Amino acid sequence: MAVCIAVIGKENSPKYVACLHSENELQFHYKVHTALDVVEEKLSLAGKSNCDVRELYLGLLHSTEEHKIFGYVTNTKIKFIVIVEAANTTLRDNEVRTMFRRLHAAYTDVVCNPFYIPGDHIVSKKFENVVKSIMSGNS
Amino acid sequence: MRSSVSYILSSPAPDTRMSHPDYDQIAQDHASILILVHHQEGLLKPKSFTKVWDKIRRVNHTKVTDSAGVTRQVYIRYVKDYPVESNDWGEFQTHRRLLGLISVGQYESQTDLNEICRFHESLKVRYTTTLYDSRCILFGKENEELQTPSNFKSLPLWYSDVESCSDLESQVSELLNSLFWVLESKRQLFSGVSPLFSRMHRSHSQERSREKLDRVPLLLAPFERKDIVGLDLESRTNKKKCMGRMIKHLGDLSLQAGVPHEALQHYISALDTLRSVNDWLWLGGAAEGLCSASVIVLYPGRWRTFPIQRNASLPPSPGKRRPGLIGPSSLPLGSLTPVPIVEDAPKALSPEGILRRYQEAIQNYAKYQSAGMIETEACFKAAQIAIQQGCPLQAASFLKNVVLINLTLTEQEKIQRFLSLSELYTQMGFHRKASLCRRLAATRHVSDQNRQPDWTQCYNLMLQALDGHRLSLDPTERATGGIAEGWPALQIHLLQQLVVAARRMGHSALATRHMTFLLQTMWHHLNPKEQRELTKQLQKLASECEGAPVPLVLDSRAVIPPANLTNIPLAKNFRLQDLPLHLRPQKIQKLKEDMGPFLYTPISFGSLDRKSTKSLSRMDYVWVEGDMCEVLLDLYNPLPFELKVSNMRLLASEVVFESIPSSIVLPPDSGPNTVVLAGVPKEVGELEIQGYSTHTLGVKSNCQLRHMRHMPQPSFTVEVVPALPHMEMSTNDQKNNNLQLPPVDASVSITTISKSLYAGESTECQVTILNSGSQPIELLEISAQCVLDPSQLKQVLQWSADNIQAQLPLHPGASASFTLYLHGHAEYIAPPRSDVNDGGSQPSSLLSGPSSLPSRLSSLASTPQPSRHAHHNELSSGSFRSQISSRSGSSIGSSRLNPKIYDPSAPKVIDCQLKLRYSGGPGLEAGYCRVKSISLSLEILPSILITSWDVLPAETSSQFYLVLDVTNKTLGELELFYADGKVMLLEGNEECRIAVPVERCPLSKLSKLYQNIELTDVEKAELDSVCSDHVASLVDLKWVLPVSNRSGKASLRGLPLTSDMLDIVRMSPLQWEVLLNKEIAKPLSELTCVAGQCLQLGVTVQNYLDWPLHNVALSLKFFQEYQSGIRNYRLDSQLAVAGAPNVLITQLDDQSSVYHECNVVFFMPGLYKIDIQCSSVGNCSGAHPPGDATESTPAHTWKLIPPIELTVTDP
Repeated sequence: MAVCIAVIGKENSPKYVACLHSENELQFHYKVHTALDVVEEKLSLAGKSNCDVRELYLGLLHSTEEHKIFGYVTNTKIKFIVIVEAANTTLRDNEVRTMFRRLHAAYTDVVCNPFYIPGDHIVSKKFENVVKSIMSGNS
Repeated sequence: MRSSVSYILSSPAPDTRMSHPDYDQIAQDHASILILVHHQEGLLKPKSFTKVWDKIRRVNHTKVTDSAGVTRQVYIRYVKDYPVESNDWGEFQTHRRLLGLISVGQYESQTDLNEICRFHESLKVRYTTTLYDSRCILFGKENEELQTPSNFKSLPLWYSDVESCSDLESQVSELLNSLFWVLESKRQLFSGVSPLFSRMHRSHSQERSREKLDRVPLLLAPFERKDIVGLDLESRTNKKKCMGRMIKHLGDLSLQAGVPHEALQHYISALDTLRSVNDWLWLGGAAEGLCSASVIVLYPGRWRTFPIQRNASLPPSPGKRRPGLIGPSSLPLGSLTPVPIVEDAPKALSPEGILRRYQEAIQNYAKYQSAGMIETEACFKAAQIAIQQGCPLQAASFLKNVVLINLTLTEQEKIQRFLSLSELYTQMGFHRKASLCRRLAATRHVSDQNRQPDWTQCYNLMLQALDGHRLSLDPTERATGGIAEGWPALQIHLLQQLVVAARRMGHSALATRHMTFLLQTMWHHLNPKEQRELTKQLQKLASECEGAPVPLVLDSRAVIPPANLTNIPLAKNFRLQDLPLHLRPQKIQKLKEDMGPFLYTPISFGSLDRKSTKSLSRMDYVWVEGDMCEVLLDLYNPLPFELKVSNMRLLASEVVFESIPSSIVLPPDSGPNTVVLAGVPKEVGELEIQGYSTHTLGVKSNCQLRHMRHMPQPSFTVEVVPALPHMEMSTNDQKNNNLQLPPVDASVSITTISKSLYAGESTECQVTILNSGSQPIELLEISAQCVLDPSQLKQVLQWSADNIQAQLPLHPGASASFTLYLHGHAEYIAPPRSDVNDGGSQPSSLLSGPSSLPSRLSSLASTPQPSRHAHHNELSSGSFRSQISSRSGSSIGSSRLNPKIYDPSAPKVIDCQLKLRYSGGPGLEAGYCRVKSISLSLEILPSILITSWDVLPAETSSQFYLVLDVTNKTLGELELFYADGKVMLLEGNEECRIAVPVERCPLSKLSKLYQNIELTDVEKAELDSVCSDHVASLVDLKWVLPVSNRSGKASLRGLPLTSDMLDIVRMSPLQWEVLLNKEIAKPLSELTCVAGQCLQLGVTVQNYLDWPLHNVALSLKFFQEYQSGIRNYRLDSQLAVAGAPNVLITQLDDQSSVYHECNVVFFMPGLYKIDIQCSSVGNCSGAHPPGDATESTPAHTWKLIPPIELTVTDP
C-alpha cells in the first residue's frame, strides 16, 4: 500500500528510509524532507494548545498529484512518514492509522533492544520485515 | 526584462496566451493606481535613473479632498515596465490598468530630444486604452533652441540635471491628482451618483441610478472576447451578468479611488448578482475584490512603504527583492495577529473569512485555463495574507498547487515563480520547502529547455538552498556538532550538484572546495564505492585548481569558508615529544617541592583544586628556542589506493615557529603509520600547537585539533625557553683498548668510558667537549652520581674543576678538554675469618702482644685453602662499601661481622655517571641548563691482598715491625716493593710474608685521647683509626706487573688493629729505662746474670704526657714462659725480691721521672722475664674534675714492651 516509509529522529535527521521502488529513492527523500516542514508547523501549533493527550497521528501532510504524505509523531518527537499513491482511493484514514500504529510498535521494539543507542540508524531485521509488510499491504 | 519589452514592442500582435504573473502583488495593490516609470535608455545612466526612481517612488500616496469635502488616500504603485497582456486584464481588475506614464530621459541635442519624445509617444500608443495622463522628465542643459517636436502632446518637465529636480515630487503629486480625478469621474460616470449627495444616502441612490442605466456594457476578460460571438446579449441572464460585472467593476474603481467601504458594498452585491448567473470567473474576481477591500479596511497602514533609505551605502541585499518593486517581504510572519479591527467596517470580512473567500476565488479561477495568471497571483496574495495572519499551514495550502497551474511561461519566469515561492516559504518558516524551490529554480537555469544556461545563477541559487538542508559550508560547525545532522542523502545530492555547478561556472577553486567539503563532512555517510569515486573526482578537480585553506569570496560577496580534509588521512594519537634526554633543559636551581613525606598521597597539599587545574593540554616539559622539537602522530589511510601526503607541517601560534615539512606515502587501507612532524620555535614564550597541515589529493588542509572530534585536546601548549648551548663530547683515549668509545653521533646521548684497572692502579682519561651550538657555554659543572659515598668516589675518580672553569666561556665552535683521573681504589686487607680467634675476645689487660703472634700465624697457615675460594664464589660482585674501615675501630665488632659480606679479592665494577651541567647565553639568564652524561664503568681487578697481619716490636722502641701475609691475586708475576727498596717477586696466586719496619705512632698524634684515661668505645675507635692511619701513611706497598708494565700502590688504610697491637703501634706515654746493676738494659738485648747473685733492678719511669699522673702503681712481676705459652707467675721458690716490687707513686708530674730500685736474687737458672708495668688508679687528673662515673673502673695499664728477658745461668 505504502510506497515509502521513513522514520525521522528528534533532530529531523533520517533514521530509516525504505521505498518500494528504490530507483527513485532520492525523490522520496525530498518528499519526506519537505513534508517535515508541515510536521514541524503542526507540532508547533499543537505545542501552543496545552492538550494533555496529544493526538500522535498528524493526518495528511501534503498531497500531490501522485502521492499523499501522512505523518505521525511519537511523544519523543520521533516522526513517522508514510507516502501512499494518490491513485489508491480505496485507502481509508483508519488504515493509515493502523499502519502508523504497527510502525510505532515495531519502533518501540527496536528501542527496547539494549544494544540500540537511541538516535542511531535503525538496523533491525524485524523492523524491516514490519516495514516491508506494511508496504506490501499485508496487515 | 529590457529585452522582453523591446520584443513586445517589436511585435504588434502579442500572443494573448503569454502571461506574465506578477508574484509580488499584494492585496493592497488592488487599491493602487498603476504608473509606469520608463527609463529612456541612451544618455541617462542607470544610476541617475535610480535616483529619479527613488524620488518618484517616495510619493507613494497622496491625499485628495473629493467634491464632498472628504479627504481620501490615494495610493500609487510604480512599475518600471508593464506587459501589455497584463494591461488587457484591466477590464477584469482595474488595478491592472496602467493609468499614468512617466518617462525619464536625458538629451544633449535635438536629435536626442526627438528620440525621447518619439519613444514617449509610442509608449502612450501602447497603453492608449488605459492611459489617462503622462509626463516626460527631460534632463539636459537649458537651451532655448531645443524644442519638443510638434507631435509631442505630453507635458514635458525640464531639469538641468538629476540633482536639481527639487520640485519633482510635487510634479508627481500633481500627476496623481489629475489621475485621481479622471478615475473619480469614471467611477461617478458608472455609478451616476453626484458627488454632492451626502454619504449617508449614497448607496441607496447608487442602486437607483444603476437601474437607470439603460444599457450596461458587458465587461470582458481578455480571453472571453473571442467567445462572445453568438451570445444572446439581450437575454436576462446576460443583462444580469453585465450588471454584476459592472458592479464588481465599480467596486474596483471605488477601491482605487480611496473609498474601500463603498467598494465592499459593491463587491457584496456583485457576488450575489454573479452567483445567480454562474459567472464563475467574475464571481472569483468579486470574491478576491472583497478580500482585498477587507484587507485594506482591516489592516490599514499595511501599504507598501518606501523604506527611508538615505544611506546609499546599504543597498538591499541582492536576490531578495527585484529592482523596481518593493515587496512586502519586510513584513514578518504573523505580524497581523493583533488585528486592528476598525469599528465602522461591519461589512468587512473576518480574518478567517478573507482566507475562505480567497479559497473560493481561487477555486473559481481554476475553472478557467486562461485565467492561470490571475489564479497564480491570487494564490500568492492569499498566501501572503495567511502568512501575515500567522497561519503558515493555510498559506502552504494556497501555494501547494501553484506550480501545477498551467501557464505559458518562459524559463526565466518559471525561475521567478520558484524564487517567489521560496521567498514565501521562507517567510512562513518552511525552510525545507523553500530550499527545494530554490534548488528547482537553480536546475531551471541550466535545464535543457533553457536556451541560455546560466551556471552562475544556478550556483548562487544552489548556495541559497543549503540552509534549508541544514547545511553550513563551514565544516567546523559540523565537526563541533553545533547544528543537527540534517538529511545526509539530500545533502550529498545537493553538494554534488553544487560541485557540478561550480565547475561548469568555471570556478574550479569553488568546485574543489565544495568537493573537499563533501568528502570531509559526509565521509561517514558515503559507502566505500562513493568514497572512492568522490576522492577520484576531487583529485581531478584539484588538478585544475588546487584547494587551499583560505576563504573564497564570491562575486555576490558570499564567503565560502575553508574546508579541510581531516579524514583523509585520518590522524590519531597526536602527541608532543619531549626533547632528547641530553638536550632537555633543566632548572639550574631546583624548586623545592612541598611534597609530604610520602611518595604518593591522595591528599593534595595546599589548594584543593590543584589537580583539576593541571590540564592535559599543557605539557610539563619545555622546548628550547632554536632547537628542533617533534610531534608524533599516527596516520590512517582509509582509501583503497595509495595516498601521497606531502608538505605536512605543524600549525602553531603565539610564538614564531618554523615547521619543517615532511612527506609520506600511505599504503592502501593502512594504518597506523607514525609520522614525525618537526619544527623549530624561534621565540620564547608559550607555544600553542593547534594542529597540522597536509597536502593530499591536491588539496591543502589545515587540520585544527579543536575541530577534530576524536582529538582529546583542542590544542597543546608548551613553554619555550630561551636558547641554550649545545655541547658534544668525546674522549680522546683511543689507543687504550679498555676504552670503548662508541661512534660519536648526535643521537647518542651518553658517552661511555669503560676501564679496567688493577687495584691500586691509576690512569687518566681526557674528555674533550665541543660547543656545537650557537650559544656560548658559560657554565659548566661536573658532578658524579654513584652508589658510592662522595668521599669514596673521590678515591676513585677525580678531576680538576678549576681547570674546567678556566677554559670558560666556550664560544660556539670552540672546544675544551679536561682530564679525569681514575684510581683503582680497593681494599687490600682480607677480612678476618671467623676461625681466627681474634685478640679482641681475650682480656685486653695484661697479656703481651707478641705472645699471640705465633699462634695466630700458625692458625692461619693451617687454614685450608679451599675455604677461601669458597668465599670468592659466594661473592660474585663485591660491594665496595668499606665495611672494614667502619668497624676497624673495635676489634670486638670485627669478630661479629659475617665474613661472607665482603671479599676484597673479587673484581668489582663501579658504575658511575658523570653529569656535565652546562648552560649559556639567554638560557642561562633564564635559569636553565642542559645535562650531558658520561657513563663511567670502572672494573677494578684485585692486585695484592693482605690476608693476615700482625705487629712485632722492633729492636728500637721507636719502631715496630708490621708483618703482612701478602697474596698476589693476579695471574701473572708481580713485583712488590716495600720498605726502602726491598723487592719481592710473587708468582700468580702466591702468598708470602713480609715485615715492614714502621715508626711507632707518636704521642703527639694521640695526645688528645689521653686526656681522659678511661676510654669510651668511641674514643677507642678513634684511637684505632688514628693508629691505623698512621700505619697506612708510613707503609708504602708498590707493585709492578712486569708483563704488562702496569703498576700501582696498595694502601693499608683501615687495617684493623687489636688493642694488643695498638700497644705496640703507639708510643707509650711512659718511657721506661731499666737499669740492671746500674747498666742500661736495651730492649731485646741478651741479658744474663748468675743464679744466686743479687741483681739490682732499677726502673726509671718518665711521664711524657702533658699532665701529671696520680696514684700510679708501678709493679715488677717476674714470670716464666713455657713453650705452650702458659705463663707461670708463681716463682716464689725460684727467686726472691729485696725491696718493693710494687710501689705506689702518688704523683708523677708531667715531663718528670721517677726512679725505683729493688734487688732480685734468682735461685735457679732459667729464662726469666720481667713484666714492668704501671697502672694508674682512678681518675686523678688534675685538669679533670673527679667524681666521674669511670672512677671505679679498672685502671689503665702501661707495660714495658717487650718484657725484659733474663737468662739466669748457673754460677
